[in-house]
Amino acid sequence: MSVDFLVNLKNTPVFDQSLDISPYAKMMGFRLIRREGSLTTAMAYHGDLIGSPFPPVLHGGTVASLLEMAALMELIWTIDLAPNLSNDLASLPKTLDITIDYLRAGKPVDTFAKARVYRRGRRFATLHTEAWQTSPDKPIAAAMLHFQLTD
Amino acid sequence: MIPHARRLGLRFLDKQGAYVVTQMPYNPELDVLPGSGIMANGAITTFLDTALGSAVYDKFETYKKIATLDLRVDYFEKPTAFSSVVAKTRCLKVTDQVVFVQGDAYCTDETKPIAHAVAVFSYQEITSLANGPEGQIL
Repeated sequence: MSVDFLVNLKNTPVFDQSLDISPYAKMMGFRLIRREGSLTTAMAYHGDLIGSPFPPVLHGGTVASLLEMAALMELIWTIDLAPNLSNDLASLPKTLDITIDYLRAGKPVDTFAKARVYRRGRRFATLHTEAWQTSPDKPIAAAMLHFQLTD
Repeated sequence: MIPHARRLGLRFLDKQGAYVVTQMPYNPELDVLPGSGIMANGAITTFLDTALGSAVYDKFETYKKIATLDLRVDYFEKPTAFSSVVAKTRCLKVTDQVVFVQGDAYCTDETKPIAHAVAVFSYQEITSLANGPEGQIL
């Protein structure tokens, strides 16, 4: 995913930007939102996200995917922003692993996720992400991720 | 059929001994970058979650309500460009409350997995369709 568009966004204090530059992110309905200095990744609800129809519950994998996207966005946003980052996968931090805890069933509504960089070393970064729907105080899932920083 | 699994085009391929074999056919809509041919990690994670759920269902004679309690995925390498991904999943243990499962994903060579996953699922009899479970239904 190209991060060029993020470089431009960095000077924008408030935005709600779709991540349509990635076909997968577009299919998932991922958006990047900045408010009051903090970055949130959102997954707009649509019927294709359902994992179990009666009653409608989000597929756990979609929430895992949102958690990973939020972590990647936070990592790129906080550390790797440079206007000359090339538009290819090699320039992105590489996800090594994700461990997800599912806390509540995901309702058929928009879902949000916010990540925190626990530690960024020279070669690796550790992040924690929480996803919620109605209130950040009631997370529906949380994840711990490790990334390998390629540069 | 699970709506999101259908959206990803997931398919059951085979049962090989203790293993359930499932496939996520290559689909350009799942690319990380347009034209890259590399399907996103998120799609692989979701695929593995579903494939592990299949290994859980495989252990039961009757339909159960299952929910992923936790899931861990190790990403060994990127999938091969424009390649389908296959998962082989199996059940490690069924207790009175949960099922432990694990599995690998690979593109063409089973001996060269691209990802490994471990999960714990809770299960319960279907009593009422209106009752929401604790965790995440597959």
